[in-house]
Formats: sequence, structure tokens, C-alpha cells
Amino acid sequence: MRLVSRKTLLLFFLPGAIFMAMFLIYPIVKMAMDSFFEFDIYTNEKLFIGFDNYIKAFTDESFLIPLKNTLIYVVVAVTFETIIGMALALVLVQDFPGSKLVRSLMLAPLMVAPLISGLTWRLMFNSNFGIINQILRNLGILQGTDTITWLADKKLALSAAIVADIWLTVPFMMLMFLAGLQSIDESMLEAAKLDGANFFQSLFYIKFPAIMPVILTAISIRMIDAARTFDIIYVMVDEQVTVISTVIYKTLVRYNHTGYASAMAMIFILFFVIFTLVFLQDMWRPSKGGK
Amino acid sequence: MKNNVKRNLVIVLAVFLLGFWLFPYLYLISSAFKPGQEVFSTPVKFFPKKLSLESFSTMFERMPFFKYIFNSLSAALLSTFIAVFLGALSAYAIARATGKKLTMLLLVIVLMMKMIPISSIAVPIYEIVMDLGIYDTRLALVIVYAALNIPFVIWMMISFYSSIPISIDEAAAIDGASNFATFRKVILPIVMPGISSAAIFTLFLSLNDFLIALLLTSVEAKTFTVAISEFVNSYNYDLGPMMAGAFLYTFPIILISLFAQKYIVSGMTSGSIK
Repeated sequence: MRLVSRKTLLLFFLPGAIFMAMFLIYPIVKMAMDSFFEFDIYTNEKLFIGFDNYIKAFTDESFLIPLKNTLIYVVVAVTFETIIGMALALVLVQDFPGSKLVRSLMLAPLMVAPLISGLTWRLMFNSNFGIINQILRNLGILQGTDTITWLADKKLALSAAIVADIWLTVPFMMLMFLAGLQSIDESMLEAAKLDGANFFQSLFYIKFPAIMPVILTAISIRMIDAARTFDIIYVMVDEQVTVISTVIYKTLVRYNHTGYASAMAMIFILFFVIFTLVFLQDMWRPSKGGK
Repeated sequence: MKNNVKRNLVIVLAVFLLGFWLFPYLYLISSAFKPGQEVFSTPVKFFPKKLSLESFSTMFERMPFFKYIFNSLSAALLSTFIAVFLGALSAYAIARATGKKLTMLLLVIVLMMKMIPISSIAVPIYEIVMDLGIYDTRLALVIVYAALNIPFVIWMMISFYSSIPISIDEAAAIDGASNFATFRKVILPIVMPGISSAAIFTLFLSLNDFLIALLLTSVEAKTFTVAISEFVNSYNYDLGPMMAGAFLYTFPIILISLFAQKYIVSGMTSGSIK
């Protein structure tokens, strides 16, 4: 006999489940249906058009360009975040007077709202009175009154947004790697040292393999987060660069194309579901590793 | 001797890296305290020529600061309460569900809902809020934040419940406690650290939200993040006041988070390192 009765469990489960059903599952179902229709902008009448919205998404620049930008954003940002995060973790893993305080302060950017990070970097990248161009001028890279119009050029604008993302989330990577490095058995490193292993040998043959699961998890989490990015792009470079999040938002709010926005969102969600099932197995199937 | 030199080098390097990484935030602070015109002057200087509160007073003139802060805070606090309350109950049910398969299925569903990008369900959420007639109300924000954060709370709490042996539930039940009393008096105290982590992190997520508030509010329920973003758009370019607002909003959060860091960090890394 079970002492925690099924009825009680159901009672515990239902309130939360109803909330999620109303605001997460129902929206997705509704969106799946909407994605097969075209909505008249003025009368809001629905017209069934089958897979046309999906075909449009995969053949039209309005989706393909944001898709390309999102991919560049994810790959470049996460690559730099992994490398810089690892470098910082390797420095800060060492104990010295005040090391705890330095580690704590290093996490400050994580607490800043992504929106505010975007606004701050927008000021810093300003072509006339931004401090980045001033620093380049002081270093002699920019001459006289030359300026780089960071936020007006499509390619540079994407890079600038990536810089803001890197600033905001390198501390997260560092944190994950620090936790991993701190859990490595000291005696292994000592033994390697006695055997004459240099810094790089112990890095590549002991440390990296030991924390590989942590590295892979951190990269997967960051890839998902970077693909979802909205705030930074929206406030920093909205006119120059669109990513999938912002194009869905704009298609809905500015142009009122509910059907097309729904189709793009469905493709987006499907991608996340597949990614989660394939790459995050450790998280939902603890027996396969994880713990 | 050699070790001392190496240690000092590490300290210097660490402090340099810290200064380098915090530079943008320090620049935010210094811009907030520059006199209004200096933000636009060239050559750009890091330090203000003289400290000034001009940007702050302009910011207070330009927007009802406390109203927007109140909107942000009240929506975040209430939604956190709902999400943690309902999420903690649901998670208990999932963790104690009969049959491993069912638990696993629910777990995967919860994880997926946690991963779904908010921008992708913006379309129908906007329509639901319109249909309910609660557009531009704090109620809409509370409900939507709560719903979006429940999967997160469930995800965090399940690992806490799973670490409690079921024999504890059973012992309490044999002693004659009702199911809810068991939960409240026996289980809840054990998982309190988990509840605090989930609550603090959820609160933090809602406070930093921009997209939902941008989508669901316009005048009355506008939150601080939406209001501050409007200092720079096609019509305005008020960088100084914007940085003053950004400072007032982020600085307390950073200060508080230095003390609550343990909880926020465990929220960020939940499910990845145990």
C-alpha cells in the first residue's frame, strides 16, 4: 500500500499543471493551428493556407537572414565565452588572499539585466561620444577625427551585440568551470607534477578530460540561451540586425502577420525541443551520466 | 620564495582581469554622475570632471520612477510567490509519482517548457491576455511571469525532493499525519534551502524581464525596464538620465545579490552540476 495516496498527489500536481496548461501548452497548441492560416490584417478573418507559412519561412529572406544571424551569434558568442570563461576560471581557481571576493565581484555582470547591458554597450559603442572609439583613438588605432560607426554597419552591429552578450555571460561560464576545476582530485594533479608534467600537459591531459561533462553542459545551456536572445539585439541594433526572436516579435507586433509569426515560432520551438532531447540527455536521464 | 612571486603575480593578474571585466559597469556609474552635457562631449573621458546629480533629477522629471519601480517589484514579488507555491507542490507530486516512466515523462515535459524561448510563445500569450481583457494591468504580468517560472521552480525542486527518502513520508503518515500535514511539517522544512534558491532566482528573472512587459503593457502597468529603454529611441537620446536610471535599478540588485549569490548561482547552474 502506498501511504502517499494518488488522490493527494493529483491534488498537489493540478494547480501548477493547470497554470502551465493555460499559459504554456495551450499557447503552443493555438500557435500550431494559427500557423496554417493567413489572417487578414484589417478584419482578422482566417484563411486556411496549409503549409504556405512554413514554405515561406524556408524560402524567404525575412526568416533566412535572421536565422543566419542567430547562428552566427550563437557560434561566435559561445566560442568566445567558452575560451574566455575557461581562462578566467584557470586564474581564479587559485587561492590567494581575497580570492573569494574577486570571484564574487566577477559575477556582477550576471546580475545586470540583459536590457541594461544592451543600453550600456550602446552608449559605449556610440560612434561620436562612445568610449570605445576614444580608447581606439588613444591607442593610435584610429587617427584624428576618424570614427567607426559600430552600430550603423550591419556586420559591425552584430559583432557589437555579441560583445555585449560575451560581457554579460562569461561570468556564468567561469562559474561553471570553476566549480568543475575545484572538484578535480588534487592528488591527481600532484602526481602529474611529480612525473614532470608541465602546465599545458596537466591542462590537456587531466583538467580538460576531468571536467568535460561540465564544459559540454555549460556550452549547451549557453547555446540555448544565446539562441533565445532578444533584449540585447532589440535595444542595441534593432534597425541593423534581426535574429529569430526579434523577427517573430516584430512580425506580430509591428506587422500583425499572426499566421506567419506563428509558423516561425513553431519552427523555433521545434528546434529547441530536438536540441533538448538530443544534447541535454544527461539532464533528464540522470542514469546516463550527469550526477 | 618562488611561490611568493607566483602568488603575487596571480593576485595582480586577477585584480587586473576583474577591473577589465567590470569596466563597462564602472563606466555606467561614471556616466550617471556626469553633468548632463558632459556625456555628449568629446574627447570622451572616463571620470566625470565634476560629480553631478543632474542626470538623476532629469530622470525623475522625465518619468514617474517610483510608479514603474512599484510595477516591476509588485509583479515580480507576487508572481514569484505564486510560482514557488504551485511549483513546489507540483514538483513534490512528480517526484513521488508512481512509476518511473511517468516521472520521467513529466520531467522531460517540464524541461522542454523551461527551454522554450519566450519570444516564440509571445504571439498566443498576447492574444490570451487580450481575450481576458487584462492588457496593460499588473495582473497580466503576475499571471504570465508565474506561469513561465513554474517549470523552472519544478525543475529545481525535484532534485531536492528526490534526495529525501520516501520512508520519511511514510513514517509521518504512520504517525497519523494527513498528507498535507506531512508535506507542510515534515517535507517542507527539509527543502527550505531549495525553496529559497528557487524564490530568489525567480524573483531575479522577473525583475530583469523586458520582453513580456514590452508586449503586455503600455501605460499603466509599464515596468521599469520598458520605461528605461524608451530614453533612447527615434525621439529621444537621453543617455545621461538613462544611465542614472540604470544605476538606480541595478546597483541595489547587485549589492543584494552579493549576499544572496549562493542562491542565485545555484539557480543558474541547477541541473548541471550537483
